[in-house]
Amino acid sequence: MQSKRISQAIAFTLFKLMSYAVIVILVLILGFIISRGIGVINWEFLTAAPEEGMTKGGIFPAIVGTFYLIIGSSLFSFPIGIMSGIYMNEYATDNKLASFIRIMTNNLSGVPSVVFGLFGMALFVNTLGFGDSILAGSLTLGLLSLPLVIRTTEESLKAIDNSFREGSLALGATKLQTIQKVVLPMAFPNIITGLILSIGRVSGETAPILFTVAAYFLPKLPNSIFDQVMALPYHLYVISTSGTDIESSRAMAYGTAFVLISIILIINILASVLRNYFAKKVKMN
Amino acid sequence: MLTIDAKNVDFYYSEFHALKNINLEVEKNKVVALIGPSGCGKSTFLRLLNRMNDLIDGTRMTGSVLIEGKDIYAPGIRVDELRKEVGMVFQKPNPFPKSIFENVAYGLRVNGISDKNFIEERVVQSIKSAALWDEVKDKLNKSAFALSGGQQQRLCIARTLAISPKVVLMDEPASALDPISTAKIEELIYELKKDYTIMIVTHNMQQASRVSDKTAYFYLGEMIEYDDTIKIFTNPKELSTQNYITGRFG
Repeated sequence: MQSKRISQAIAFTLFKLMSYAVIVILVLILGFIISRGIGVINWEFLTAAPEEGMTKGGIFPAIVGTFYLIIGSSLFSFPIGIMSGIYMNEYATDNKLASFIRIMTNNLSGVPSVVFGLFGMALFVNTLGFGDSILAGSLTLGLLSLPLVIRTTEESLKAIDNSFREGSLALGATKLQTIQKVVLPMAFPNIITGLILSIGRVSGETAPILFTVAAYFLPKLPNSIFDQVMALPYHLYVISTSGTDIESSRAMAYGTAFVLISIILIINILASVLRNYFAKKVKMN
Repeated sequence: MLTIDAKNVDFYYSEFHALKNINLEVEKNKVVALIGPSGCGKSTFLRLLNRMNDLIDGTRMTGSVLIEGKDIYAPGIRVDELRKEVGMVFQKPNPFPKSIFENVAYGLRVNGISDKNFIEERVVQSIKSAALWDEVKDKLNKSAFALSGGQQQRLCIARTLAISPKVVLMDEPASALDPISTAKIEELIYELKKDYTIMIVTHNMQQASRVSDKTAYFYLGEMIEYDDTIKIFTNPKELSTQNYITGRFG
């Protein structure tokens, strides 16, 4: 009896400690970045271009570039991903094509991001002739997030009980009407969460934009989708490894990391707020 | 003309022979109860009548089902049109995450009706027919999820009535409900048969005997006996039927 209780207590303590460890790690990372980076954060840092070999000035072009890439990749991956997710869950649940797509999607999400970068360079930059551009970078990032969008959509739709579909079909609704008016609205809170989280992923990626869009130093904003841009993760990489004066740009690097982490944090908070909002709305109307 | 006329119906889930040579005729404005132990094929048969089984992969049917003389498995039959004629109420209440009003209006809207006055009139009338009006008349714009299980099921009945079907299929409509809600559904079925032909699957013998005019007893995919409810419950021809309704098995 005694030993049973002791092993129970040990197991419980172990589980508890491990889960606390996760929090400690996160707090350490955040605390480290914030304490080092917060000093350089001011209005100029957020709104000015880098100066003097990127040791002074701000990171505004990189912030703007990251936002353009988020929007561009979303325009590409959301429609394709959502529609194929719908196809796979609603139309082709049990056929060979769907399971083939599913396997391919899983494989795609296992491809290292630097390989996406290389592929993006070969296809979009060179073969299709987009050059190093927002377009090429957005398409590459879109490819990267596509498996996530498909998977999210499929899982969200799968969570909707079949009885709702049957209820709608039994009233003479077509399959498309059922998807539009019943299934999608119910799945929407979960889908939107997944979409926003995929944005978080995209905004932090460095490798895919390395060869396709990111500019080393470009203090002006882009004029078209065929221009290069700076982007936060790549900027962070540049000023941490190959700036003109790495030591004096160190503070800038932590500031950049702070901004990048803040953006992703805000995106995640936004995801849960929107999720709750839509979950309530779906119930009410 | 018969409202439902099933002839030589055989049905398979892949290799499993779920229905064996079923022949069943239902006259207008009658209530027919389908009884039998779990897995006997009664729900499968019910779902044949509005082609709900089409949604399951790997199924196959032979024979014919006529609804008001029209073969519903003939090529060129539009399933969504059929389901307007043959409505269905499910075992578990499944209202949509919409308001009470919109739940009932849904069937009208998806069938292309947009006349506001007509929809409103039909919604009110359907909720009244489903004996739900007094309970929901002040909260038509509230979520249907706020209703109790029994109210939700009557809302689902109202939703079905709104599209004016000729036949209403009910798949154990009261099995998830408490006794009071069940009694309300049974009363409702009694009222509804004035205007509709009803087929109900039930595991509850008393319910079958209370609400139905005729009863069909299914066992292992065969229809063992089909007769007036009073005969089935007082003087069944088959021993198997008698054993089932007296609770000796099943």
